[in-house]
Amino acid sequence: MKRREFLKRVAKSFFLLLSISIVPLISYLYPYRKKEKTFKYFPVTEEEELPERGLKRVDLFYERDGRRISSNVYLVQSSKGLIALSPVCTHLGCIVKWSDTKREFLCPCHGGRYDIEGRVVGGPPPAPLTRLPIEMREGIVYVGLKV
Amino acid sequence: MGKVFDWLDSRFGIKEPHKRFLQRPIPQGLNYSYCLGGAAFTLFLISAVTGLFLSIYYVPSETEAFRSIVRINDEIRFGRLMRGLHKWSANLLIVFIILHTLRVFISRAYRPPRELNWIAGSLTFVNALASGFTGYLLPWDQKAYWATVVGTSMAGTVPFIGRGLLFLVRGGPDVDGITLIRFYSLHILFLPLFMSILLWAHFHMVKKQGISGGL
Repeated sequence: MKRREFLKRVAKSFFLLLSISIVPLISYLYPYRKKEKTFKYFPVTEEEELPERGLKRVDLFYERDGRRISSNVYLVQSSKGLIALSPVCTHLGCIVKWSDTKREFLCPCHGGRYDIEGRVVGGPPPAPLTRLPIEMREGIVYVGLKV
Repeated sequence: MGKVFDWLDSRFGIKEPHKRFLQRPIPQGLNYSYCLGGAAFTLFLISAVTGLFLSIYYVPSETEAFRSIVRINDEIRFGRLMRGLHKWSANLLIVFIILHTLRVFISRAYRPPRELNWIAGSLTFVNALASGFTGYLLPWDQKAYWATVVGTSMAGTVPFIGRGLLFLVRGGPDVDGITLIRFYSLHILFLPLFMSILLWAHFHMVKKQGISGGL
């Protein structure tokens, strides 16, 4: 075989090999179907211990990838009944803290501020604090988290 | 494959004019360092193709940019690979342009009549660096943001016109969503267009002037 023929074949087989990449390319383009995470309900407190006014911070723990993760949620007696607020700031995901003196949720990272029902009152957050679903069963309050 | 191509080409006739370019005599004394330019061009093609695919999922907005990058990385099949290819081909493109430039410099291939091609090549290099700089902002994370704050603020140190230049580059006093759109547009429209024109000119001159003889 001449060298020119050989090189031609090498080039051709290279392009043939390259054509296999059509498979990952199409699979890249194929839209991803989101697996909806379902809410998992955690018992957080008893119904009797709920505050009549204001809010209550409750801690909860769960396991993920074999690690124990501690988290917390705020139970708030709002004008429209009990709501549960996630403490994750909607700006960049830091954990907000309730300030009793300022009567606001404050984000330590970039100064995001939310009122007692989670509405933004200042700073960079683009949306109010996420409200989590609540369930009452046999006098116990359960809060749903997507974990 | 060959037969299909021959059928197409008997009507389209693209093989003959390109034969003169692809199958031409080359001077004695060449070695593999003469492939560095071709390697750089291949890397440019890879970054162009992967960039096309990335643009399908990337959203150039202040609120969505970073999230769309995370989505490409974590959710899209082969998304991480696509980003990796884009990143590494772009990095290696710069490396190979420099190596190619060194080869041209050492073999004194920049001398007449090839001065203009040296200039075209230099502009290609500047264009590649500009693509790298504008592309670096697009992930819109802390590193990208502050790199662009620092990088663009250098424009502000130019005597007399610095302030105006900084305003022009950022599209405002600060790096924000407007800067992101600006850099995105430059990165995917303006610069690739300039790059294509420059490379066409570069290859045209290589074809017309031939490859300079080896050392």
